[in-house]
Amino acid sequence: MRNRVREQRTQREMSQAELATALGVSRQTVISIESGRYLPSLPLAFTIARFFGLTVDKMFDPDEEEAGA
Amino acid sequence: MMAFIRPRLRKPLGVALAGTVFAAAWALRGGHAWWLSVAIEVTVLVTAVTTYVRAGEDNDEGALAGSRADERQQLLSVRSRALGWNFAMVAAFIGVAAGVAVKATWWWTFLVILAVGGFAYLLGLSNYGVAEEDPADDAGPRPPARFPAS
Repeated sequence: MRNRVREQRTQREMSQAELATALGVSRQTVISIESGRYLPSLPLAFTIARFFGLTVDKMFDPDEEEAGA
Repeated sequence: MMAFIRPRLRKPLGVALAGTVFAAAWALRGGHAWWLSVAIEVTVLVTAVTTYVRAGEDNDEGALAGSRADERQQLLSVRSRALGWNFAMVAAFIGVAAGVAVKATWWWTFLVILAVGGFAYLLGLSNYGVAEEDPADDAGPRPPARFPAS
């Protein structure tokens, strides 16, 4: 599953640590989500999508494979 | 009670408490090896301090040691503990089988471990909702669906 977390974060010029603090998760979890190694729970997926002002299906695309995953 | 203890202190205190209980048990046992209880207590305290130091690190292990794990780190912990318990159950089964085969007197201790593991598994199924499934809401008679909906 591809997601746009890294793309959205870099557009806002945020570090992974800043995003982690904003989402209430660890920096390691943000790294894992961005690389596609971890699929967040539904509540966390909504939190991420809302943080970036997108819908969950715009943030996470089940039809696209993560590059390199 | 845990809420009154700072998250970073919870695991180190747990280690220290459990280790101290074991050291006390060893001291109560007496005999010529009583002094090992002192060595056990020293080891436990060193381990507790090490756990406290690790709890301050910015990594998954540190988050778990510091009781501040997020959902992914909690999942890691649950999976790791499940793997550990699976290994323990396999080891206990091997212990029972080997003990019975050599007519040892200690075979039943492994059986107790297996029984506790089995009971804990069933308790987990019960606690985490296996018995709380509601019936399907489309079960039983209902008016026929109308298509297209108007």
